[in-house]
Amino acid sequence: MSIRVEHLTHIYNKGLAYETKAVDDVGFTVEDGEFIGIIGHTGSGKSTLIQHLNGILKPESGRIFVGDVEITAKNIKMNQIRKRVGLVFQYPEYQLFEATVRSDVAFGPGNLGLPEDEIEDRVREALRLVGLDFSTYADRSPFELSGGQKRRVAIAGVIAMRPEVLILDEPTAGLDPKAHGDILRMVRSVRDRTSGIVILVSHNMSDVAEMADRVFVMDRGRLVRAAAPAEVFAEADFLRSIGLDVPPATRMANTLMGEGFAPDRTILTLGEMADFLAGRLGGRA
Amino acid sequence: MIRDITLGQYYPEYSRIHKLDPRLKIIVTLVYIVSLFLIEDFAGYAIALVSMGAVIALSKVPLRFMLRGLKPIILIIVFTFTLNMLMTKGTILWEWGFFRITKEGLYNAIFMAARLIFLIVGSSVLTLTTKPIKLTDGIESLLKPFRRFGLPAHELAMMMTIALRFIPTLLEETDKIMKAQQARGADFETGGLLRRAKALVPLLVPLFVGAFRIAQDLAMAMEARCYRGGEGRTKLNMLKFRRRDALAIGFTALYLSGIVAERILL
Repeated sequence: MSIRVEHLTHIYNKGLAYETKAVDDVGFTVEDGEFIGIIGHTGSGKSTLIQHLNGILKPESGRIFVGDVEITAKNIKMNQIRKRVGLVFQYPEYQLFEATVRSDVAFGPGNLGLPEDEIEDRVREALRLVGLDFSTYADRSPFELSGGQKRRVAIAGVIAMRPEVLILDEPTAGLDPKAHGDILRMVRSVRDRTSGIVILVSHNMSDVAEMADRVFVMDRGRLVRAAAPAEVFAEADFLRSIGLDVPPATRMANTLMGEGFAPDRTILTLGEMADFLAGRLGGRA
Repeated sequence: MIRDITLGQYYPEYSRIHKLDPRLKIIVTLVYIVSLFLIEDFAGYAIALVSMGAVIALSKVPLRFMLRGLKPIILIIVFTFTLNMLMTKGTILWEWGFFRITKEGLYNAIFMAARLIFLIVGSSVLTLTTKPIKLTDGIESLLKPFRRFGLPAHELAMMMTIALRFIPTLLEETDKIMKAQQARGADFETGGLLRRAKALVPLLVPLFVGAFRIAQDLAMAMEARCYRGGEGRTKLNMLKFRRRDALAIGFTALYLSGIVAERILL
């Protein structure tokens, strides 16, 4: 399955004095199984863009195809789309409402009208994928968990719907380094398990550089770059000019280049940097 | 749909009406509301309409915004209109089965509907041209004399300020949670009454939890800045009575005497 977006435009507060074009003529295609990272400064339209992909927001103009279904068409069954495209919002832990973790995660599958035993299976699987032990957590109240655990429960609630496309809007915002790593590992394992499309919106350049097949760069509502991480992060000055930056490893590589240690390719991750340095120093990483 | 509520929604502009002392604006609005109940015929409404039109024109707020406040009460207007039209006895204009429209009924219906519309638009002028913070400042100042009877004027005003301040925040929160639950397949729009009421649980629980969280954060932030009630508290922006306020009083007096004179003379 693929996603195709054509000339998508979204305007907030249309007709009012504070009208703003949040998404401005954006078009792209995402192939089956691709991992896309979306970066952009605050207010660049990332969140608005992804909320169109499962029909939560309706565009001002433009069309979106998920697989062969045009989801921007009239009389489209929204539940059919939400089943295929799962969207995890920013700070998803604030959407928890049930008395137990089990029933909260079951909310999504329940809305799909699945039979009880199927729902149970999915809840077990989803909790396992987010790294929460079923027997320990299933019957606890989600409100008594830690912030990172709450977030995992919330993400499990979307995963349990088994979407073919998983979109995560800054899933690691406000988490400590350990929880941050846990969430990213979880995203990776979900992707390995489902082999569907994953779209990750992030302010963390290293995460995007490390995980994404392609990086989309948004600036003031426009999609200004869509290319492989190595290509996007090679343009450090451009990224800085729109309020972004390159990953720390790339920054270090660029500094080294200024000092005459030119790496032969764009370095994106700490691992690559370690390999490069080890090679230069004549040892092994 | 959530964004349609005008209450407490300020329309930023630099007009003579915006700059008036909020205390005065509150009193004038009260006078205007009372005056609407003094009016007995359409000639009186003509005076009210012209005066309100002049104020709206002076305020530079688009008429569209003024009328937006009517949207939520349109049902009430239609309801009173129909009831008045069908329930008043008098000369029959039109009859069908036991439905009967009388001349007096039609008159009453239009009269009552007009009064409701004037009431809502009149009070919208106040909220659209006055920043919520100034409004509560005004209320606090007007309530001060009642403090000697044990009325906690400052606390009431602070509560109102906070409530007004958090309306948009809670609306935004509602919008966010609604979207998140919709993404999980929740359906807020279809089904019978019971189904819809049940569908609200996934919205209301997080909303309440969020409201308590926000309240706690706010209380902490206020304490951290040594808030301890109104005793001896000074204001950053003092309310000052100016020449334009005196002018406004003059116009209000003129308007009120016009209404009273019309009632006595015609």
